[in-house]
Formats: sequence, structure tokens, C-alpha cells
Amino acid sequence: MRNATGPSPLLTAVLLAPGALWFLGLLVLPLGVVIVFSFGERAAVGGYQAAFVLDNYLNLPARWTAFKNTLVLAPIGTVVCLIAAYPLAYFLAVKARPETRTALLILVIVPFWTSFLIRTYAWMFILGGRGLPSLIEWAGLGEVRFINTPFAVLLGIVYAYLPLMIFPIYVSLEKLDKRLLEASEDLGASPWRGFMQVTLPLSAPGAVTACMLVFILLMGEYLIPQLLGGGKVFFIGNALVDLFLQSRNWPFGSAVAVSLVVIMLATVSVYMRFAGRIGGARDVSLV
Amino acid sequence: MNKRDFIHQLWRYKRGSISRRQFLGATGLGLASTVLATTMPELAGPRRAFAGELGDKVALTSWPSYHDENNFKAFTEQTGVNIELAVFGSNEEMMAKLQAGGTGWDVFVPTNYTIPDYVSQDLLEPLDTSLIPNFDASAYETRFTDAGTVDGKLYAISKDWGTTGYVINGGKITDPMATWKDFWDLSMTKYTGRSMVHDYQLTTIGNALKYYGYSFNSIDPKELADAEKLLLAAKPHLFGINSDYKPSLLSGDAWASVAWTGDALQLRRDMPDIRYILGQEGGEIWSDFYAVVKGAPHRAAGYALINFLTDPAVNAKEVLFHGYPTADSRTNALLPKELLEDPIMYPAAELLAPLEFGAAGLITNEARAEIMARFKSA
Amino acid sequence: MTAHGAANGTADIEFIDVSKHFGAIAAVDHVDFAIARGSFMSFLGPSGCGKTTSLRLIAGFEQPTTGDVRIAGTSMVGVPAYRRPVNMVFQHYALFPHFNVADNIAYGLRQRRPRPDRAEIARQVDATLDLVRLPGFHARRVWELSGGQQQRVALARALINRPTVLLLDEPLAALDRKLRRDMQIELQNLQREVGITFVLVTHDQEEALSMSDTIAIMRDGRVIQIGSPRTLYDAPANRYVAGFVGESNFFPGEVVAADERGATLKTAAGVVLSAPYPPGGATLVGTARGVIAVRPEMVAMWVGPDDPDGAAEFSCRLGGRVHNRIYLGDQTEYSVATDQFGDVLVRAAKASALEIGPGQEVRLGWRQASGLALVDS
Repeated sequence: MRNATGPSPLLTAVLLAPGALWFLGLLVLPLGVVIVFSFGERAAVGGYQAAFVLDNYLNLPARWTAFKNTLVLAPIGTVVCLIAAYPLAYFLAVKARPETRTALLILVIVPFWTSFLIRTYAWMFILGGRGLPSLIEWAGLGEVRFINTPFAVLLGIVYAYLPLMIFPIYVSLEKLDKRLLEASEDLGASPWRGFMQVTLPLSAPGAVTACMLVFILLMGEYLIPQLLGGGKVFFIGNALVDLFLQSRNWPFGSAVAVSLVVIMLATVSVYMRFAGRIGGARDVSLV
Repeated sequence: MNKRDFIHQLWRYKRGSISRRQFLGATGLGLASTVLATTMPELAGPRRAFAGELGDKVALTSWPSYHDENNFKAFTEQTGVNIELAVFGSNEEMMAKLQAGGTGWDVFVPTNYTIPDYVSQDLLEPLDTSLIPNFDASAYETRFTDAGTVDGKLYAISKDWGTTGYVINGGKITDPMATWKDFWDLSMTKYTGRSMVHDYQLTTIGNALKYYGYSFNSIDPKELADAEKLLLAAKPHLFGINSDYKPSLLSGDAWASVAWTGDALQLRRDMPDIRYILGQEGGEIWSDFYAVVKGAPHRAAGYALINFLTDPAVNAKEVLFHGYPTADSRTNALLPKELLEDPIMYPAAELLAPLEFGAAGLITNEARAEIMARFKSA
Repeated sequence: MTAHGAANGTADIEFIDVSKHFGAIAAVDHVDFAIARGSFMSFLGPSGCGKTTSLRLIAGFEQPTTGDVRIAGTSMVGVPAYRRPVNMVFQHYALFPHFNVADNIAYGLRQRRPRPDRAEIARQVDATLDLVRLPGFHARRVWELSGGQQQRVALARALINRPTVLLLDEPLAALDRKLRRDMQIELQNLQREVGITFVLVTHDQEEALSMSDTIAIMRDGRVIQIGSPRTLYDAPANRYVAGFVGESNFFPGEVVAADERGATLKTAAGVVLSAPYPPGGATLVGTARGVIAVRPEMVAMWVGPDDPDGAAEFSCRLGGRVHNRIYLGDQTEYSVATDQFGDVLVRAAKASALEIGPGQEVRLGWRQASGLALVDS
């Protein structure tokens, strides 16, 4: 008689094959190509020429500003997003009445029904001279400029990534057992301290996941700095677009891309450790 | 909104807010219009009951706000061939795609100085003029058509030409401005935060070189170093580095920008105060061409399209739409007199004289690409 | 309605005409009671009867719509939960998953201002873990514990605060039967040991009967009867209480005669039965209908034709056929089909019952004094 403990190895292989091929074809292979390219040379007319040189990596400091802008604005954008998203997620998960909650959640998603580009164009108009600044001027509050400033980029980032930040936090808050808060209050903690000692730590894994998601996407962002930064706020993503589409220096572009991947991997590993620490916080005494 | 209205809106959107180079390709709207044309071919125009020997489609890669939609409709009605239009932001991007291969493009619109590089990379087909009966070489002003011929073979035929100067909002800037020196100096002082330059190394570096009186095409390291110094000094004073400069000028955020002929003309329709200035030191004069991609999947339809667009009556409608002058005297004969005397389209001879055509090799020049990258990331 | 069970001076908790409305629904409806200091009090009733709301009114998670809730003589109206001298053991324990056992237990002490020092907290945590018989469990994670262990941690987390009153919301519902029995005994011992008032909410009559000094039977937001388990069993205020505390055979009928001591009813089948009122019970004088309740263990069963000794005193004798038999350990329960009353439940000691099985023709009877004439509600 057949051993009934599990599916046959063949079936397992067949079921895993699409995923494995997908992974191999769309992730491993391109990454391999990029790594190979990163050691090549730029052909005279642009593109790639086979070689094995380290020049592209040695040349990385030429994009130092782009790295710096990204590594400064991406964390700031992430933190601002978090600060904006947490109260919203908290309201949705804890305070909103069940009847209104669904409607509000849909409102959070509604912007996704429109093209990201068109939404960003809307911001270009709002932040442009005929938008908000003219209102502020009309109100006699002085002359201001938003468009093509780091502020505009930050605003665009928060706008675009807020839903991505809200949902993981919402989920972690929503599944939080409300009786834990009653228990906290019953044991003498005021609502504020209950929030600090129960809600916040228990929603922290969701918040960290959301931050990770937003941070990694921000590291590759190029459209928002392009459109709302007017080409003056330059991210690594913009450097990559230029290297592949303008100067067509594929090997250098590949080296920049590989560095970006390395930075992201480093961030993720820090995240894993941090997430592990939060898991381990159960052992950390509060005394 | 039904599908037809949507397409109409999309066209208006593209025409109204987006300038010639650099932009659409990066944002994907060009791709969007291609996809729309592919997935909903009925929107591109009425379809013939049967497809003729030309097939039912042709892929054209061009620039934003560069073709009259009605001409495309007429072409489809005549031939049954639907045009899949993709618009790009820069010559560099077009070249990057063609180098990577597998584009499926038939006809595209390269600028004069890039053609030798395309030819040397074997990306263009030498044109069979027997398939373009509307083309009459003798009707063209040769200085705008020369670049289409490489090593005695015709690879591209002239579409239109133009200049690269700068526009200023005359309502805000009253200083007499006549030179590139004026542009850069005032951008860094009195009008700080109000000027824009292209996100395009050819014109941005070229016009920085003109500040010192160097050639627009210089690749001399010392001269390029000077240009870079100017660019880095100007960067904090610039409103933006963006080839999509029309919206910023229309909204009043920017008061001056490096600009192309047709955009200046289009801006003037909305802002009568706009002035278009060609620097007395010189600058760029350029011409755009139609070329057939080597191995074009719809080669016959591609030739038919070029032939159609070369028809003077059709070309005249194109000029009225995009606002760039043409080198074809037969077309000019059909255009209104005031257009032919417009100082933006046809600057005075003494302003035209010092202008330079972009030089072959600049598109692949690594030093200039790196200067541009350093300027943008500074 | 029962009046205050304890003199005001010795009551830990008093409800004075308390009502709690949720929208149009009165979850608690004009309730009065007092819980004596140091006693073990249970709220018993089906779900939705208002027992949990009453508990939450004491804990401070709800505020009364009208009336006054007092703890140790002080009005608690408007006082938030975190300022009340009571602690609760939640139905599913609500232990903090991000803390280990010791941190869970220490939580309440750490909220005190001024905060006790580290050594003092550690000492009390040790003592409380000993009290609930979980010594050395400090560093365990709560999700690693069994249901019974979690239960003890929840108890410890509440008891360490030395509350005036410990509230228990169906604390044993999640445990299996054997463990529940053990914990019931432990809770009783614990209550004697720490000497504070326990208030238990349960829908399990057996649990309430076995653990409590006092039981409040609730229905539809009202307290129907408060008393000791024995009082409730022997002297139920009405049919509802009799049905909820223990089992009974109910014979409803028309009141044909009633005086100050008892009543005579005529059932639908035309049988006339008499029974006294329970001690302190309401009379049926002037009432059209009533019910006579007979506990299953009060019904004698024998196989005819000869009546057993003393059968002459039985107020009622009738024949029937056993159609079901359930062993309950030391007792056996029979369901006997009769012409007059339908199914009658009989509970007999094991020894006397062995030879009677389903299908057997039997005779039943009970003394008049074994029945109770009750208000039929």
C-alpha cells in the first residue's frame, strides 16, 4: 500500500515548477545578468561590452549625491508616512464604527483606481503657481513655492505611499484583542498608558513591516522626484533611469543597481533582526 | 465617458501639457497610448473590411505633440492601416530601445546628429525612394536634409526643422535679453528660482558652452569643465531641470526656459507675452527625419506612411499643428503667409547664421553624459 | 424581588436601582443587590440575561444609565475602570502576548504611582506564582501554557493587586470538565485563603451551586432571586428558578383551591394535585394558574403490583413505561412515559435501580409535601 503521508515527489515538483520558473526567470536570471554587466565596459556607442573590470564599482562615488539623497529622503519619507498613517490606521481599526469603517477603507483605496501618473499630475497642479501658492498669496500669507522642492517630493511620497503604510498597521491593530486593553485598564493603566504598553508594542510588527515595504519601494522611486522635484531632487532611481536610458552606460548602471540591491538586502536583514527583537521583547522586562 | 471620448481626452491631455522631449517616454504615457491602440484598434480609426497587402498596422515612434491626429485618421481610411504611435522623450531613449532590440518599430523620427550613429550600428534601412513617390529631393532646402544621407546612401528624409533658444515671460522679465550670457547671468541673480533648462545633455551642456562662446558641440575637456562649472553654479538657482517646461511657464512658476521653436509657438497661443530668444552667440539648429528601422515588421506599411506624410497637403496640416517649419518648398507654398513670416518659426538670418547643427557622436559621448549626471545629482 | 442581602456596613458591592440601556435595550433593568464582604457571589443565567453587563458595571467598563454602583461604600459612578479597586479574570484570560508570565503578573503593580521598586515587585510576583501553584514559571511565554496554566496566570495577575473584589467572567468555560472541577475547588480554596470578595459570572448552574455562598439568578436584565444555593434549590421563587437550579418535573394547571400554606391544581389531563408553597414563597391565592414542581429524586418508582412501604402517603400514584435510562454514576435517571403527565423524570440511587430497564412497566408516586406549588413564570 502507498504511504499516505504526503503527495508524491513528482506531484510536488510539478506544483512547485511554475513558481520556481517564475522565480528563476524573473528574478534570479535578470539579477545574474545585471551582476555580469556590472563588471563589463560601456561600448563606444553605449550599451554593454564584455569585460571584467572593477571600474564601475570604483566609479560609484560619482553617484554619491544620488545615494545620499535617497538614503536621507527615503527614511524621512518612511517616518513621515508612519507618523501620518498610524493615527489613521488606529482610527480605522479601533475608533471607527463598523458601518463606516468599510466605507473609509474604500476611501483609502479609491486613489488607486486612477493612474498614479494622473494623480501626481494633479499634485503638480495643486503645488504649482496657480494652485495652493496662489491661494496662500490671495489670503495675504506671503509668497511661497512648493513645486520642485524637496518638500513637494516628500509630500508626493507621503501621498503615494500612505495607503501602503496604513494597511499593514490597520491589520495589526484590527486583530488586536480589545480585551487586552480592558485588561490593561482593569489593572490600573490609564487609556494612554494602555496604548503605550499594549497597543503600540502589539502593533509594532505591523508598523515595522509597513515601514519596510515603503522604505524599499522608496529606495527605487524615480517618478515622484522627477515630477514633483522638477529634476532637482535626484534619487538613485533617477540615476538608474538616466544611466540606462540617457547615457546608456549599462555596466555602470548595473553596478549602481547591484549596490542598491545590496543596500536593500542590508536593510532587510536589519529589519529581520529588529523584527526578531520585537518578538523577543516578550522576554524584555519593563522594570 | 465612452472609449472614443477617452481617447480624445488623452490626445488633448498629451497635446496640452506635455512638451517635446524627455518626458513621456519616462512616464509611460507613450506606452499607454501604444497599448490602447493595440488592444482597442477600433479606436485608432475605422477599419477596412479586409486588410490589403500593406497589412493592418504600422508602428510609428515619434515625439509628443508632433502629429495631427486627423492626418492619421485619413491615412487609416485610405489604406486600412492603423497607426500605433509611441511617443518618446529623448533621442537617447530611442537609441537605447533600438540598441536593446526587439522593438517592433517600423518608422521613427530621429534628429539629425544621431543618424550617423544609427547607421554605424546598422539600425537603419537605406530608403527605397521608389516606395516614396511623394518625396522630391529637389524641393527641399539641402542644409536640412543633408544629415539624412550617410556615405552617399539616403537613410532618412526630412520631417521638419527648428531651433533651440529660450523663452521668457515678457510680463515678468522686462530686461533686454539677447544672449545666452544674459540667460545664465540673470537666472543666477535677479531671476533666481525662475529658470528652467532641459533634462537633455545636448542642449543644456551646449548652451552652457555658448556662455563662454565655445562651440555648442564642444567635447574639449577644458571647455566642458567650464560648462560644468557654470551648470553646478546655476543649479541651486534653477526652478527645474525638465524638458516638460510648458506647464511651469503657463502656471507662472517659471519665467524663463530653454525652449524649442514649436513649444515657443504653442506657448504664445496661451501667453501673448512670451518671447522667444535665440542667443546671439549661437546655439542649436536641428532637423528631424523619418527613417525606417532595419527589419521593420511592417515595412511596406511604413513606407506607405512616410509617403503619406510627405504629401505636401498632409505635411502642411502637420506644420499647422506642431508649429515647426518644414524644409519642403512645396509644403511652404500651401502655408499662410503670416506663418512663414513668424519670427519664432523663421528667425532673422543674422540670428540663424551662427547656429550649429548637433555633431555626430554627441549622442554617445560619455563625458557629456557624465557631466549631465553630475549636474542633475548635485 | 429580593432586598439587600447584607447590611450596608458589611457590603463590598451594592447596586442601587441600577439600569443599563444599550439603545432601546435594557441590559440591566432596575437591579438592587448587595454583596457581603468576603463572600463568593455568582450571577447565574442564560446568555443575554444581564449578568456580564452587571460584572462590567462593577469593573467600570460600563457606566450605569441610572442608579448607583458602590464599592466598599463609595459611589463608583463616573470612576473609570483603572481607578477602581477591583480586578477581573477575563473569559479568555486576555493575557498580554508580548509579555512573559512574570511581566503579565507584574503589570498591575507597575501601574501604581509611586511604582514599587524592582525587588518588591519580584517578591510579590514570586509569592503570587506560589499562590497559584506555578512556581518558576516567570520566564515562560503565555502562549506556551496550557489552558489551566493560563487561567492561573490570569488569576495571579488580578490577585497580586489585592483588589477589594475579584471579578471572574466565565473563567472556567474554556477548560475541560476534569480541569474545571479541579479549578472550581482551587478557586474556592483560594478565596478562603485570600479572603476577598469573589464575584463570578457563569451560565453553568453546577458551577454556581458548587462554589458560591450566594447566587443571583438573572433573566432579561432583572435579578429574579438571590439566595444561598440551598435556598434556591429548596425554595425557588418561581418556576424559572426551579428550572434553572437543578431539574424538576413541572405540572402546570388551574388553581382550584389555595390557602396560606399550599395550593391544589387541576392539570390539563384532569388530574388534581396538591403541594405546599416553598418556605417564603408566594401564595397562589387569587391566582388563576400555577405549577407544581417535583424534583426527580423525590419521585419514587417501583415495579407493581404491590406498593412499597409508605406508598399510602403518596398524594399521587400512576403507572408508566420506562423509555430511557441514563447512568449518572451514583444515580440513574429514568424517563418514564405516563398517560397523565407525558414524560416524568425519575432519579434513583444506583442500588435500587439496577433491574429496571427500558420497556419496563413501572409505577410512580410522591408525597404531597415533596412537591412545591409555584408561580408559573
